[in-house]
Amino acid sequence: MEEKNSLMVKKIKVILSKLGLDVHNRGVITVAKELSNAGMEVVYIGNALPGEIISSAIQEDADVVGVSSLGGAHLTLGKPLIEEAQKKGLREEMVFIIGGVFAPDDGNSLYDMGFDGVFTPGASSEDIVSSIKNLVAEKTG
Amino acid sequence: MERGRQKERTPLYDSDALEKIKAHVEKWMRETVREQDRDEWVKTPRTVLGSDIPREMLYTPLSNPGLDYFEDLGNSGEEPFSRGIHSNMYRGREFTMRQLTGFGSPEDTNSRIKFMIDNGATGLNVLFDIPTIQMYDSDDPFSMGQVGMSGVCVDSVEDMELLFKDIPLDEVTVSIVTHYPSNTAILFPMYLALAEERGIPWDKLRGSVQNDTTLEEIIRSGAEYTPPQDCFRIQCDNIEFIRKNVPGWNYITLNGYNLREFGTSAVTEMAVAIANGIETLDEMISRGFDVDSVADRMAFFWSPASDFFEEVARLRAVRRLWYKIMKYRFHAKSARAMWMRCHAQTSGVSLIQQEPLNNIIRSSFHALAAVLGGVQSLHVDSYDEAYSVPTEEAALVSLRTQQIIQKETGVTDVVDPLGGSFYVEALTNEMEKRILDELDEIETEGGYVACIESGLLHNKISSYFSNQQRDIEKGDIPIVAYNTCKSEIEPPPINVFKYPEGVEQMQKERLQKLRLKRDNEKVGSALEALKDACRTKKNILPFSVDCARARCTEGELFRVFKDSFGLWTPPALWK
Repeated sequence: MEEKNSLMVKKIKVILSKLGLDVHNRGVITVAKELSNAGMEVVYIGNALPGEIISSAIQEDADVVGVSSLGGAHLTLGKPLIEEAQKKGLREEMVFIIGGVFAPDDGNSLYDMGFDGVFTPGASSEDIVSSIKNLVAEKTG
Repeated sequence: MERGRQKERTPLYDSDALEKIKAHVEKWMRETVREQDRDEWVKTPRTVLGSDIPREMLYTPLSNPGLDYFEDLGNSGEEPFSRGIHSNMYRGREFTMRQLTGFGSPEDTNSRIKFMIDNGATGLNVLFDIPTIQMYDSDDPFSMGQVGMSGVCVDSVEDMELLFKDIPLDEVTVSIVTHYPSNTAILFPMYLALAEERGIPWDKLRGSVQNDTTLEEIIRSGAEYTPPQDCFRIQCDNIEFIRKNVPGWNYITLNGYNLREFGTSAVTEMAVAIANGIETLDEMISRGFDVDSVADRMAFFWSPASDFFEEVARLRAVRRLWYKIMKYRFHAKSARAMWMRCHAQTSGVSLIQQEPLNNIIRSSFHALAAVLGGVQSLHVDSYDEAYSVPTEEAALVSLRTQQIIQKETGVTDVVDPLGGSFYVEALTNEMEKRILDELDEIETEGGYVACIESGLLHNKISSYFSNQQRDIEKGDIPIVAYNTCKSEIEPPPINVFKYPEGVEQMQKERLQKLRLKRDNEKVGSALEALKDACRTKKNILPFSVDCARARCTEGELFRVFKDSFGLWTPPALWK
């Protein structure tokens, strides 16, 4: 008879995406590798608009949705993303994080908008990994 | 590859002197140098985007005993051009102060262009927004929320008209930052159509386009990619057309900068750019061009970063290396065809969000290294690089950085001031060797385009930048106010650029009007003719110019490319 390992923990599943048409992907690729090394399951969908990001998140049954924006559209596309998440009833169960290049003030606006985690230039992989783990624990716990 | 012809040698260091110095250095090492310095004689600076090249504690003639004045250096303006492409360098012509401008609507950027010119900028450098770069119209669903950010939006020749309003195109040099071959083939024709409409003959136009496959296929994220072979073909079509029809225009700015900023070393940056240059020349020769006429207007674009002497040394090294390639591999005859002419933009990735005013210092060192290395034109990144597109005040500081170098430091009064330095000459040699080694690797693996298709370059670079991130986080690469010399006190906040509002809506309305008022039959047939040219391997540029004249929009031309060439899936950068 097969014994189930009761200590087996489901990997945290993260969807990562470039927000809109943003060309800069060094950061999100680095984060993808780091999250993977930290034991998470990462699905990188490349460039996508909010609607597609949310569809992918639902399809993949993601725990975390992470978007990367260095092109200035963090507010103009961040807002519809959270709104779409709200509409689909995902806000309570999924963690939404954003990273990229924007001013700290805009970072505050992103939190107000509904993002659970905001990472500005200089955020370390340790910050990101532990934030994600804590945020997921908060939402599921 | 041939390594240089036999000629009379002119070694700088006398062999007796070298022997004496060697004996002395051995004594000095034993008696004057501390034991711990002897043990750690060679040290490797760890810097952002650095090449990890080890340095000796002290350089002497022994570091480069065979240094030959005419073989390795020459005077400025003479082969092998290590010391500079012109004999008089900045005494004859100052480096062009070419700061990037681009945000909002064409009118917004037009104002900023005028501001820069009024404050002393000597060249224009126009950057497009991301939808424009990625070849989507401002009203394409994919462009939503991104129009006019991080660059100016241009959808058609009419936007070009607004962008360059009151700017005399026959009097200024304009770098139009069309990164990709594909968007160059769409946007540059709009500029040409504009010149035509203003009655300016194309042979009066001076400036450059990027037109580099590296930017389209390696370093950017995108939803849709043209296959590398087709992208490279368009790159060469651009060169061919511009060579024949716009004689004063630089048709390729080999990259360089964006590759490095994506995350790689100074060495790889140069090896890849040269590999592209070589493959391009081979293609143009097979198209019937004379090598001199093509190399004549090829230019390079570099990213000077923080390892000060590495930056100076590599500019000298690549100048010498490019000369050798042009002379011995391609048998170029004119001096101009052997020159490594370049624009430099100080490294953006090296600037951080914490204590942003520190970035002014960083950029100043980057800029000084570029000038001591002999670049032809320069953009200095602004201190708010890690926040947003520069504010007017930040852009002004960048311009002033250049002006202060030119007017207050005296460095431009002397050509190649670091020439002859034991250190700099040794490092120049080392850089040349390493660049050549990486270039050989690319060639062995099939050449530039093949290495894109196979993922070799993608993988090399993504390994570099992941490792670099780890090293920065570990503190192995020190960054002041980030992982070292940190302050408890938060500095006062800086002004951050806010994008003008309403640009997207305005562009959408413009496009609607444009599509109604233009002759849509002409549009249709122009696009059909372009498609046919794509498929039958004609040079696509004349057809693209027709499209521009007919007021086709960028997205319409990109659709033709997609239909004609199909899409490519680039290698995954991770996993």
